[in-house]
Amino acid sequence: MNVIEIKNLTKMYGKVRGIEDVSFNVEEGEIFGFIGPNGAGKSTTIRTLLSLIYPTSGRATIFGKDIITAAPEIKKDIGYLPSEVFYYDNMKVMDLLKYSASFYKKDCTKRIKELADIMELDLTKKIDDLSLGNKKKVGIVQGLLHEPKLIILDEPTSGLDPLMQQKFFDLLEIENKKGATILFSSHILSEVQRLCDRVAIIKDGRIVTVEKISTLKENTYKKFKVETNSVIDKNFFNIDGVNQLEQDGGSVSFLFRGNINSIMKKIAEIEIANLWVEEPDLEEIFMHYYEKEE
Amino acid sequence: MNIFLHELKAYRKSTIIWTLSLVAMVVLFLSMFPSFSKDAEEFKKLLEGFPVELRKAIGLSVDSIATLIGFFSYAFLYLKLAGAIQAMNLGTSILSKETREKTADFLLTKPVTRTQVVTSKLLAALVSLVITNIVFITATFVMASIVEGNDFNKEALLLIVISLFFIQLMFMALGIIISVIFPRIKSVISVSLGTVFGFFMLGMISSTTEDEALRYLTPFNYFDSTYITQHSSYETSFIIAGVIFIIAAVSASYYFYAKKDVHSV
Repeated sequence: MNVIEIKNLTKMYGKVRGIEDVSFNVEEGEIFGFIGPNGAGKSTTIRTLLSLIYPTSGRATIFGKDIITAAPEIKKDIGYLPSEVFYYDNMKVMDLLKYSASFYKKDCTKRIKELADIMELDLTKKIDDLSLGNKKKVGIVQGLLHEPKLIILDEPTSGLDPLMQQKFFDLLEIENKKGATILFSSHILSEVQRLCDRVAIIKDGRIVTVEKISTLKENTYKKFKVETNSVIDKNFFNIDGVNQLEQDGGSVSFLFRGNINSIMKKIAEIEIANLWVEEPDLEEIFMHYYEKEE
Repeated sequence: MNIFLHELKAYRKSTIIWTLSLVAMVVLFLSMFPSFSKDAEEFKKLLEGFPVELRKAIGLSVDSIATLIGFFSYAFLYLKLAGAIQAMNLGTSILSKETREKTADFLLTKPVTRTQVVTSKLLAALVSLVITNIVFITATFVMASIVEGNDFNKEALLLIVISLFFIQLMFMALGIIISVIFPRIKSVISVSLGTVFGFFMLGMISSTTEDEALRYLTPFNYFDSTYITQHSSYETSFIIAGVIFIIAAVSASYYFYAKKDVHSV
C-alpha cells in the first residue's frame, strides 16, 4: 500500500518554478529518502504535502486521502520536523509540548517524558533560552509525541551533534520497526544511505530518478587499482566497460562497469603485486545527477 | 478550544495592561469632574474663547461640558483612541504573529483547518475585548456615582461607554484584514498606531466640517454623544454600516487566510 502518492504535482511561485510535474509514491513501512541540492524543490514538495502551500496543478494523496480536502484528518497521523524549528519563545518546553499534544486526542504525557529522556531534553526550560540544538530536540519530541504513522523530516539533522544525530536515527529506526513510514529529505547523502530503502532524487524542481539504494549502487561502476611487478602494456585493460584508464609506472587505475568476471579474468592473466576494488560511495554516484547539464 | 485558550493566555498580560490603563484614564478624568463643575461657568467662558473649529475637533461642547455626560463625552474621545489602539493591535497581531514568530509551520501542520485557527483566534481576541469592556464599564459607573451620586443620565452613559466596544470591534476587524492582506508586517505597533491615528485625525476633520459622508469613514465618529444623549439610542445607519464593515472584513479574512500559501522562513 502507498502511504504517499504524488501525481504530476506542480507548484509555481508566480512565474518562478517551485516544482514541476513531480510524481512518486512512498510505500507503507519504508524509509524513503528525498535528496537534492538546496533549492531543488524538496521543501516545496513537503510543504505542499502538508498543505502549507497549495499546488498549482497535479494532486497527491496521503493514506489514500486528498492532501487538500482531507488535510486536518491526514495530519492527525503525521509528525513533521522542519529544518529550522521555531516555537513560542516565552513558553516552557513542557507547556509547548503539552500544547502540541492537545491537538491530538490522546494522552501523550508518558511519551513526552520518554522521548525527552532519550533526547536528553530539559522540559523545564524556556524555549527562548534553548540553544539551536536543543530547540531541534524539542522539534523531534514534538514531531513524534503522538506516535504518527507517517513521519516527514525536512533536513532534520542540522544543529544536532553527531551523538544526538545517532540517537535520533536510532529513534527513527525504532519508529520504523513499529510501523511508521518515514519521508526523509536531505542533501546529506551519507545519512540517507544509512537509513533509507529507496530514494527519489530531485533536481531543478523535477524528479530525476526513483531507485532503491541497493540498485543505485549495483548499477554503477567499481573503482579498480592494480599494481603490477612489471610495467604492462597501456592498452591491456582497455576492454569494454573500462573508463578513465590511467597508468603510472607499475600501477594502473580505472573505473569498470559491466560483468565483473570479464575484468577478473583479465587481471588473472597477469602477475599482480596488489589489487584494490572499491565501491564508489553514493556521493560519487549522485554527483552526475547534481551537476547541472551544460 | 486549545488554540483559543492558548491565545487567551498569550494575550493575558496585554489585556490586563490595557484594561488597567483604560480604568486609570477614566478614574483620572472623572475625578477631575467635581472641581471642574464647581467652576463650570468660568470654564465655559474660557472655552468660548477657543475657536469653534478647535472645540468641535476635540469634541468640546460648551453647552453640555458642565454635565457629567458632557464632560465624560469629552474625555471619551481619548478613551476611544486608547481602546482603538488596543483593538487594532490585537487584530493585526493575532494571525500575523504566527508568521512573524515563524510558528505558522507548527500550528498549521496540526490536525486543524485554517478556518478553525481563525475562529479560535478571533474568539480569543473577542473575549479579551469583552473582559476589557466589562471592567471598563464597571469602573466608569463606579466613578460616575462617586463623583455625581445618583444624579446622572445612566442610560446615556451606558450607551456611550458601550460604543467603545463597537469601535474596538471595527478596529479589530480592520487589523485582521490588514494582517491577512499584508502578511509580512514587521511591526504591529507601527501599523496599528499609524492607522488608528490616521482615523483619529480624519475623525477630527469630520467633526469640524460636519460632513455626514466623512463620518462613515472613521469609526471614531460613528457614535455621536449628543445624539445618544438626546435620543437614548445609536444612529441606525451607522450601526448598519459598522456591522456590514465588520462582517465583510472578517469574512474576507477567513477567505484569504484559508487560501494563502504559508511560506517557509
